[in-house]
Amino acid sequence: MSTSSAAGLELRQLCRKVGDRRLLDGLDLQVAPGECVALLGPSGCGKSTTLRLVAGLDPASGGQVLLDGVDLTGRSPGERQVAMVFQSYALYPHLSVEGNLDLGLKVRGLPPRERQQRIDATLELLQLGELRQRRPAQLSGGQRQRVALARALLRHPRIVLLDEPMSNLDAQLREDLRPELRRLLCGREQPVIYVTHDQQEAVGMADRIALLEAGRLQQVGSPRELYTNPANRFVASFLGRPAINLLAVEPGRQLGLRPEHIHLGGDGTVAARLLRREWWGHQQLLWLQTHWGAVRVLTGPEAPPPPEPRLSWQRQHELWFDPDSGARLPP
Amino acid sequence: MKSRTVALVLMLPALLLLAAVFVYPLLRYGWLSLHASSVLTGLVPVPNGGANWGRLLDDARFWTDAGQTLRFALCSVALELVGGLALALLLHRPLRGRGPLRALTLLPWALPTTVMALGWRWILNDPHGPLNAAIRSLGGSSYGFLSTPATTWFFVVLADVWKTMPFVALLLLAGLQTIPLDLEEALRLEGASRLQILRRLTLPLLVPYISLAVLFRLAQALGVFDLIQVLTGGGPAGSTESLALYAYLNAMRFLDFGYASTVMLATFLLLLVSLGGGWLLLRRHGLARTTERAA
Repeated sequence: MSTSSAAGLELRQLCRKVGDRRLLDGLDLQVAPGECVALLGPSGCGKSTTLRLVAGLDPASGGQVLLDGVDLTGRSPGERQVAMVFQSYALYPHLSVEGNLDLGLKVRGLPPRERQQRIDATLELLQLGELRQRRPAQLSGGQRQRVALARALLRHPRIVLLDEPMSNLDAQLREDLRPELRRLLCGREQPVIYVTHDQQEAVGMADRIALLEAGRLQQVGSPRELYTNPANRFVASFLGRPAINLLAVEPGRQLGLRPEHIHLGGDGTVAARLLRREWWGHQQLLWLQTHWGAVRVLTGPEAPPPPEPRLSWQRQHELWFDPDSGARLPP
Repeated sequence: MKSRTVALVLMLPALLLLAAVFVYPLLRYGWLSLHASSVLTGLVPVPNGGANWGRLLDDARFWTDAGQTLRFALCSVALELVGGLALALLLHRPLRGRGPLRALTLLPWALPTTVMALGWRWILNDPHGPLNAAIRSLGGSSYGFLSTPATTWFFVVLADVWKTMPFVALLLLAGLQTIPLDLEEALRLEGASRLQILRRLTLPLLVPYISLAVLFRLAQALGVFDLIQVLTGGGPAGSTESLALYAYLNAMRFLDFGYASTVMLATFLLLLVSLGGGWLLLRRHGLARTTERAA
């Protein structure tokens, strides 16, 4: 039933409906072998739903999940050879670290010697050897996350899914773990899907980002593509902090300008008045009042704002949107 | 004041109450069991130098009843545990109308034991009860279910299981709801079957709840009185008599308060030993290790 397709993971018109609610509405996405795609979006946008459909934990209401051209849609989770890291880590509380790793292998009926070899190798890879006898309750958040990762990698999965794997960790740890996670997960032969609501994490982890909203794919591409060439207003305003300025410049057209693309000087075209300064150390954010409303501008940390600032920008940085639909308009 | 002292002072009223309703009767039983106090003494306690305890050791009826009580408790608690677990697993699944169904299952437990036992007695009545009517309508002939020891024993256990299984199910259901769903999902992704999930994940995590249910039920079943008193009166031929019933008969029918106290105290000690033994056994098999579960 499937025409030949590329290697890797392919989602075709994937849908999930519960009652009248469309949690996911016709998602098309391809993840190449070794590629890491981040599913990004606000809560309830359908990113975790997608993950559960790929894992087979929930049935799809329509569409297909293909791996190397083979249709997985009707298969049980156990048959899909999918590894998943849960947001909660889902470690078995009654088992030690070693027991947590072993249970899946035991269930699959692997011989004891092979089980032990795999466990030892994985514990070493993740430097968990000293913790092997501990129970999950005796581990720190970061350690639990590593055990969850170890459990996922142990089984040589054909697809790796991560559901907000770092959202329970503090910001510093999250940043520290990113390179390690990339080293362990990406660039192997499996496709990786990484669900997050944190754009920094998505940019840091993924080769490409798929941005979802209300169950629909808004845009998929490299972080740079999404940032510089957003498909619509949602993409433009979701990515980038401080957020893009959306200005009602002309009737029927809305101008999007990123705060770092606006310059202040005497020769600008738009007069403004300074409302507030936020000093961020490496930059400062200025809030300016114009006749279009408040505008955010990023400047160097030390430059004092001119007494009578006037705003200017380059034509190439203008992004135009339809004010009603949010669709991107030509310049 | 030190916080320990404060704690002690605050606990004092509860401790006093406990002493009044628990420790005092026990001491009184102990004292009375060392006296003869029956119609023969004009119900006046007369010290008899431990003769009651000597009588107890030689009392075949006491030891028969002890065996019967233990057998009853072990059988019905085991059945309740298996049935209660099955029921809990069923009620834990997302079913339509799960709420009303849960309430409905609790109904037998909410029924007063006396009412329930009377109900069963009528169901089993020979020849007018519904069960015999059903047998006759199928072409059989009436049977005296409560007149042979084997069938009577069977129905006593059945009635007890019917009544208290919902309680066990409720306890275990509460336990099931503490198990995060994603643990099961993680194991499903490993390809585990339902049975493997039950054995490797659900049951180990339920151990604290199972222990609690077993201890509760064992304590109740070892002291069984009302069900047997109403359903069989201990018969036929004393084959369903429990220790609590025997103690009651000594006091209320034979008016031998000295010996009744002895039986009561002995029953209490046996119960204590069985429960303590059960608890130690459970603790060794994982109760302790699951208590360290945390966030």
